[in-house]
Amino acid sequence: MHEYQYKLLRDIMALDFTILELALYLDTHPRDKKALKDHNEYVRERKKLKEIYEEKYGPLTLAETSEYPWRYIADPWPWEIKY
Amino acid sequence: MSESTRHYHDDMYPDMELARAYVPIQIYDMSYRPAVALSKGTFFPELYRPYMVKNPY
Amino acid sequence: MWIYEKKLQYPVRVSATDLRMAKFLFAQYGGPDSELSAGVRYLTQRYTMPISEAKGLLTDIGTEELAHWEIIATLIYKLVKGKSPEELEKAGLGAHFAQHDTALYPHDAAGVPWTAAYIQVTGDPITDLYEDMAAEQKARTTYEHLIRLTDDPGIKDALSFLRQREVNHFQRFGEALRRVQEYLDGKKYY
Repeated sequence: MHEYQYKLLRDIMALDFTILELALYLDTHPRDKKALKDHNEYVRERKKLKEIYEEKYGPLTLAETSEYPWRYIADPWPWEIKY
Repeated sequence: MSESTRHYHDDMYPDMELARAYVPIQIYDMSYRPAVALSKGTFFPELYRPYMVKNPY
Repeated sequence: MWIYEKKLQYPVRVSATDLRMAKFLFAQYGGPDSELSAGVRYLTQRYTMPISEAKGLLTDIGTEELAHWEIIATLIYKLVKGKSPEELEKAGLGAHFAQHDTALYPHDAAGVPWTAAYIQVTGDPITDLYEDMAAEQKARTTYEHLIRLTDDPGIKDALSFLRQREVNHFQRFGEALRRVQEYLDGKKYY
């Protein structure tokens, strides 16, 4: 995997994890204003990074646009990547 | 709940009942940077509990 | 409904193939306290939770457990890759090879296939949340056992990550229990 692709992917993974942690916290603390604010900020940051990644390297889910031929299925799949 | 009807000794936990387990509610304040959070497995320093293998011998 | 994202939750590294460890890791792929049990348990309990906090939490942790199931699968896949039938037999995976080649299959470390008997959904939200808290402790302990069984730093890293997740989940389920208890007691917390 290209070094830049790998770095982008790692940054997205870190953001996704942070967003998940805040979401689980919000599930049991729906009225925590700080958590909600931070969650939304990280989501906005992630959106930007994800757009850059998918534009260069193809869709991360089947619900994103793809160049021809269908890039969603392209190797490597997550269990094949050497981290 | 008045002093006389509370059936446990600890003054630190008002309004608790017998035969129930209570986990304290976390209050979000500090956090790790995302990359650090991922490597540790938690975004919250107060929940970080690394496993230390004690030497049994 | 579920959407799949084509990436692992955590970057999984192994230093070398290791059939001995792969065999033990099946405990968390298809054993009683596996990620599969956790995912199915929470995603099944969620339907009869009385408050939205619990419905959200069980859905989201249940979904995360499937992502962990994928991490365990990735560990096993990398540890078994390219090994011969002879090597598998020597490592005690001969029966697995006979029935599954080097493919994955949801059974435990001894080859016992996964069963719904590993989970309970009583329909009483308090009871179900206590079951979930116990499940997180059992998974944490199993990860501690597995961490002690390997010296591979990549495997230790991934297992430590998964172990820490169980600690966090326990905290969340504990909070959900309090919310459900308050609701059932007739107290509104907001």
